Amino acid sequence: MTPLICFYFQVHQPYRLRDLRASELGSDVINYFDDDKNRAIFRKVAEKCYLPSNKLMLELLKTHPDFRISYSLSGVFLDQCEEYGEDVLQSFKDLAATGKVEFLAETYYHSLSSIKSTTEFCEQVKKHVKKIEKLFGQTPTVFRNTELIFKNEIAQMAKQMGFRGIIAEGADHLLRGRSPNLPYSVPAFQLPKETEKQIAKNRPLKKASNDMHVLLKNYRLSDDIAFRFSDKNWAGYPLFANTYCDWLQSNQGHSINLFMDYETFGEHQWEDTGIFNFLRELPAEMARRDIRCATPSQVIAEWSDRETETYDVHAAISWADTERDLSAWLGNHIQQSAMDAIFTLEGAVKKTKNPVLLETWRKLLTSDHFYYMCTKYWADGDVHKYFSPYESPYEAYRRFSHALCDLKSRLEIIRNT
Amino acid sequence: MSLHSLMFGWEFPPLHSGGLGVACQGMVNGLLKHGTRITLVLPSAMAEGEASLDVRTTNGSSSSTIKYVKSDLQPYEGVDQYDKRVNTAGKIGQAIDLYGPNLGETIENFTAQSVNATRDVHPDIIHCHDWMTYDAGIRASEHHRVPVVMHIHATELDRTDFRPDPWIEGKERWALRKADRVIAVSNYTKNLLTQHYGIAGDTISVVHNGHDVPKNARVITAGRRGKTPLVMFLGRLTTQKNPWQFLEAARLVHDMQPATRFVMAGEGPMLESLMGRACELGLTGSMIFTGKVTRSEADSLYRKASCFVMPSLSEPFGLVALEAISHGTPLVMSKQSGAAEVIEHCFKVDFWDTERFADCILTILREQPLADQLRAEAPRILQKLNWTNQSAQILSIYHSLLSS
Repeated sequence: MTPLICFYFQVHQPYRLRDLRASELGSDVINYFDDDKNRAIFRKVAEKCYLPSNKLMLELLKTHPDFRISYSLSGVFLDQCEEYGEDVLQSFKDLAATGKVEFLAETYYHSLSSIKSTTEFCEQVKKHVKKIEKLFGQTPTVFRNTELIFKNEIAQMAKQMGFRGIIAEGADHLLRGRSPNLPYSVPAFQLPKETEKQIAKNRPLKKASNDMHVLLKNYRLSDDIAFRFSDKNWAGYPLFANTYCDWLQSNQGHSINLFMDYETFGEHQWEDTGIFNFLRELPAEMARRDIRCATPSQVIAEWSDRETETYDVHAAISWADTERDLSAWLGNHIQQSAMDAIFTLEGAVKKTKNPVLLETWRKLLTSDHFYYMCTKYWADGDVHKYFSPYESPYEAYRRFSHALCDLKSRLEIIRNT
Repeated sequence: MSLHSLMFGWEFPPLHSGGLGVACQGMVNGLLKHGTRITLVLPSAMAEGEASLDVRTTNGSSSSTIKYVKSDLQPYEGVDQYDKRVNTAGKIGQAIDLYGPNLGETIENFTAQSVNATRDVHPDIIHCHDWMTYDAGIRASEHHRVPVVMHIHATELDRTDFRPDPWIEGKERWALRKADRVIAVSNYTKNLLTQHYGIAGDTISVVHNGHDVPKNARVITAGRRGKTPLVMFLGRLTTQKNPWQFLEAARLVHDMQPATRFVMAGEGPMLESLMGRACELGLTGSMIFTGKVTRSEADSLYRKASCFVMPSLSEPFGLVALEAISHGTPLVMSKQSGAAEVIEHCFKVDFWDTERFADCILTILREQPLADQLRAEAPRILQKLNWTNQSAQILSIYHSLLSS
């Protein structure tokens, strides 16, 4: 029998920094972000991807009774919806109202707090869960960490937070020939007492979970859609729902997890590549062949207590770049020092109990700021360049360091008064 | 049989004032390494008759002969004087009258002597560098019946902020169309040649300049914690190098970080007015004008500098940028330059954007991790961009011309 098909789409937009100058540091109001650019990019992506894709998804969910999808919407994306796109937010609410859409939990600010600060990690996840409950009337039970950053410790923390499942990259070197299409368990180990205390203090869900399942991204079948769909040199080009379903049916296991950026539809793969037609055809073709869909929590529920193997991850992995590690955000000296410098301010920021400072500091934690500073195989004009709003990694650092500097001096003034 | 290239240049170390001499030397050494024979003709005020200097590589496989032709031709000089005059408003017409015909005569002298001195050398190819040598190149090419390569290190447009002396510009345009192949030192220059000179793109090859790091070079990678920050400019003090912008940016940096020191190294017709402007801007105690510096003085400054600034108006390449990074000096440079095409680990700024220049400098001075990364990462390009590699490209251009 063909495994269940589990779709999860990532939706996120960062707050990009404006062209800050050293000469304007210490001015009266905090003004780090490029409102015009953020609005312009949000609207562009809304028109090309969010609105047409959501419209199509709604239609598909109504037409095909067994179709199911899930989303992870970052908190900063939802904030931008409120600022720049009530229409986009409404379209997600309409999807939620079908009862066939699951929303996952993540860090509110799409941050790397999971590897830098347990307290901040918990607070951000808690804030995100509350936001999802408020907007969509459902409580997430599966956790998706920023950029699928995953290691044993993070899985344990998510379990302590109350989640039953967690999303991760199906990395070949960790699977060692095993299938990504099965839920895995995490190795049992005790978190440090201090960490457990911190989680208990800020637990996003009511109580710690008794079990934890890792759902692994099937990167081959996911990337066929997300990256290769419009590649004319690819053997699978042009891809139709029919062929794709053949590939799905040739798979074994419990669930095929197709995880990708939502911008795949209309933004990374433009409408003229036929991506929307493909998306429209797929559920129909799946229904014809009796291929069933499920959301992450349904995948876990159907698996129940069956025996699973462990996915044992000591060094952090992610879904980024070919390295599938943290080097996209922490690969060079400026990234590391910027990340350390911003997290160092946590105590001072929280001590002020000033909501504006806290919010600003948190917006600076967003992983994209560090991604833009990446210089890995940069000369080859790779994806980092494609996704960056700035002209170079050093420009990204220049802006970020000015914001950091300004924030630091504000904290200093508060401490001295 | 090794290939024999007859080159016409206008300056060569140690007697040089600009990047062209440095580039020629690198290129000659690189070509010698690849077994090319070279006869290089240079103007010299000191030469008696047909002075010549034989240079051979140690294994004796290839050699170069440097011939000095007695000439009053002084590299850059006429152009610099012209620069000075166009900066003094209202005297443009006068400037042309002043030096046009005289310079023409001097060049004609150089051309005749150079071609005459090399009539028996039997080269396989002629290679000439910048406009003063084009006549010699064309005449030698006709005499020896071999192809001529014209190497563009700078055009009249670069030197004059796009207000060219029509006589020089016309000469460039006329000569470049006669070249069998044009070598531009950057895509920036190639674009300029196609757009402003109307040279067909397919006759132009781009070979970026290189930089050979001396074996015993000291690269400062640790940064200069705790010391007074020093911001450096090095170049001829002419319109093209935009030293004016350096002063303006220095003032903004000085306003924010009064302890910062600035050094403007190099000589040129703008020196006096720059000194006056520095006083007006209140930079008297912060800005040092060194005048002309020797190689070792320049190297020592690069090592001491916290940041090197190249604000050129229009820079075909900008060898000082490669020199700066070879010493591990963090770099802020004009986007309107060829070096910006090849150096990634630096800040690139539009030449007119004073505030951004200042801001990038301030960021480098303030952010140690940034300075450390620029020091460590930028020099890596020199593993690729050295004269051995760049000369190999030139040699392959020779071969393609000879086989077609």
